[in-house]
Amino acid sequence: MENSQKFCELFFQALRIRLVEERIIELYPSDGIQSPVHLSIGQEAVAVGACRNLKKTDLVFCTYRSHAFYLAKGGNLPEMFAELYGKVAGCARGKAGSMHLAAPEVGLMGASAVVASTIPHAVGAALAAKRLGHDQVVVGVFGDGATEEGVYHESLNFAVLHRLPVVFLCENNGLAVHSSQKSRQGYNILEHARSYGLPVYQIAEGYDFVKVADTMSGITQHVRLTREPVFVEIRTYRYKEHVGPGEDFMCGYRKTEEWLAWKQQDPLEQYVNLAETFRPAILKEIDKAVHFAMSSPFPSVEELLRDVV
Amino acid sequence: MLCNASVTSRVNGQVASGPRGRAGTEIMSYRDALHWTMQDALQRHDSVLILGQGVDDHKGIFGSTTGLSQAFGADRVMDTPLAEEGMTGVAIGAALNGLYPIQTHIRADFSLLAMNQIINLAAKYKYMFGGRFDVPMLIRMIVGRSWGQGAQHSQSLQSLFAHIPGLQIVMPSSSQSILDTYPAVIDHYRGPVISFEHRLMYDLQFYVAPQSTQQETEPFGSRLVRPGEEVTIVATSIMVLEAMRAAEHLALVSDIQCEVIDLHCVSSPDWDLVMHSVEKTGRLVVADTSWREYGVCAEVCRVVAERNPGCLKAPVVTLGMQPAPCPTAKCLEDLFYPDLRQLVDALAVLVTGKEIHGLPLPDTQSMADVYKRFKGPF
Ligand SMILES: Cc1ncc(C[n+]2csc(CCOP(=O)(O)OP(=O)(O)O)c2C)c(N)n1
Ligand SMILES: [Mg+2]
Repeated sequence: MENSQKFCELFFQALRIRLVEERIIELYPSDGIQSPVHLSIGQEAVAVGACRNLKKTDLVFCTYRSHAFYLAKGGNLPEMFAELYGKVAGCARGKAGSMHLAAPEVGLMGASAVVASTIPHAVGAALAAKRLGHDQVVVGVFGDGATEEGVYHESLNFAVLHRLPVVFLCENNGLAVHSSQKSRQGYNILEHARSYGLPVYQIAEGYDFVKVADTMSGITQHVRLTREPVFVEIRTYRYKEHVGPGEDFMCGYRKTEEWLAWKQQDPLEQYVNLAETFRPAILKEIDKAVHFAMSSPFPSVEELLRDVV
Repeated sequence: MLCNASVTSRVNGQVASGPRGRAGTEIMSYRDALHWTMQDALQRHDSVLILGQGVDDHKGIFGSTTGLSQAFGADRVMDTPLAEEGMTGVAIGAALNGLYPIQTHIRADFSLLAMNQIINLAAKYKYMFGGRFDVPMLIRMIVGRSWGQGAQHSQSLQSLFAHIPGLQIVMPSSSQSILDTYPAVIDHYRGPVISFEHRLMYDLQFYVAPQSTQQETEPFGSRLVRPGEEVTIVATSIMVLEAMRAAEHLALVSDIQCEVIDLHCVSSPDWDLVMHSVEKTGRLVVADTSWREYGVCAEVCRVVAERNPGCLKAPVVTLGMQPAPCPTAKCLEDLFYPDLRQLVDALAVLVTGKEIHGLPLPDTQSMADVYKRFKGPF
């Protein structure tokens, strides 16, 4: 299977995201990136699998943890680094930093740092798609913690009531900052979503990008044809601290064994040779993107009050 | 023990003493003052409950609640689901039935999800039911700043809440201010209080009055923090520190003596204190941590204009954030917030009456950098 073209393409994309974030970790101590970074290392397969079957015109709304979705949806890498460096060539002219990436030209509709706040935007965009007769699929990406917020429920209900073409994609890493899911939730996410009356799916192997891509392919097709909402929960694992470039297994709120077990399944960790064949080209691309970011100018004074109204 | 002995003895006759007993302590960080008041409240009142996302984890709301869940139990220092509106409603219900909830928002911005409960319910309960209910609770909101906090993690929302009758809004500008305010509020005030704590101050060390000299203070007053003759600076939160730095600079390089007033309680400031000062100096600078439009700056101007506009020798000067959401690029963020140089220049222009006043200005240095690197106590 590791020889199939699909596997290799997805592997390449997932590895690219990981190497980008590893570069962020390397660069971080130099203080050039003055932005809180919520890394997706460990969670790349969700983004590459989910985005594989989306068209450019399909829309994705996401969270502060969205380097992976930005890249998987086709966001421009040099512009992402420029954004992290606070440069005017960044994808949001230096106004966004890491937490609010956007690339509307490829359907990445913006990331919000307020938990759950973009879920209704996905529903609203689906409402527009339906009324305007677009064949778009809209994906709302959120974490397990976001399902505790009222707006998540309000959004699910409305999407089902009005049969809107939206995929609710719950990226479940079992954590909200340092709190475990079971300390926060008395419900089962999947069963609870099912009770709203929409089809629900679960992918337990969130490290397996092929499985994610295949399942999401069916889901996306279903939504595109039926114009009805679907819910999908993808289990995944966050390798790094909630925010910042470091690891935090020594802090005691989770066990290193969980991580080791997850890594055992993680193709990026397991197929070392394949990674080595792709690595040089990716690193070259990253070098160029970082060079672009570092050598491009800071925003001028006029930028401060530009685009306010 | 915290305030004075009478406060403590009125509660349970015992002297609270935690791992950080304050006897003999004269320097205390903002963070430690917060931690001390949280622990003190839990210790002295069984009714106190701390509710918030992450209050029990190893980071403990930037160190202000660390270890308290272990010491007092997870049923008193409680991690909550991500449900700001619901949890605020839960806190209100608990307050209505005998508890004293202290709620935390690790960024003030997240309290916006709880606006309905805070404004439509907590603020209204007493009045709307003819005084038959009290909602005693403290909501701690942290104002983020620097390192790319950006548009959604940096808002200083005091005026939004101060606009609403029924809420008390405080903005502690030092460790002493926390020690003077939180225990007094928790012990004696029966309504909802919102406190804006500034993230950049958490690491700062402040002189605090030795325990034996602690006076019981009015938690909602304003404070005269520096007497002066030529100009009044009315400031909030970390801008009080900036005002003090500006005043000290001007005192070194000129004869200009600035009077600095820490507004502290922006919902009901001590307007007499402000007016007496402005009537004395005839000049007013307002320095707030938020936008100037419709905010604290505007409110101070309203009161001066209503009470005695004739006392002003020159137009008022206001300093606040630029009228935009907060950008993340550091170069823009540094322009977004007022800096010390601007403040000193504004004061010098105002007092001398000359645009070119010839007084040396302090080095421009990003305020965020100053406070992150500052070591000695204030
Ligand atoms: C409304 C709101 N409340 C609290 C926070 C602070 N916060 C930031 S991320 C986070 C955890 C979210 O967990 P989850 O939705 O599972 O996403 P993950 O970080 O695991 O990807 C919290 C509580 C916030 N940003 N917004
Ligand atoms: Mg999570």
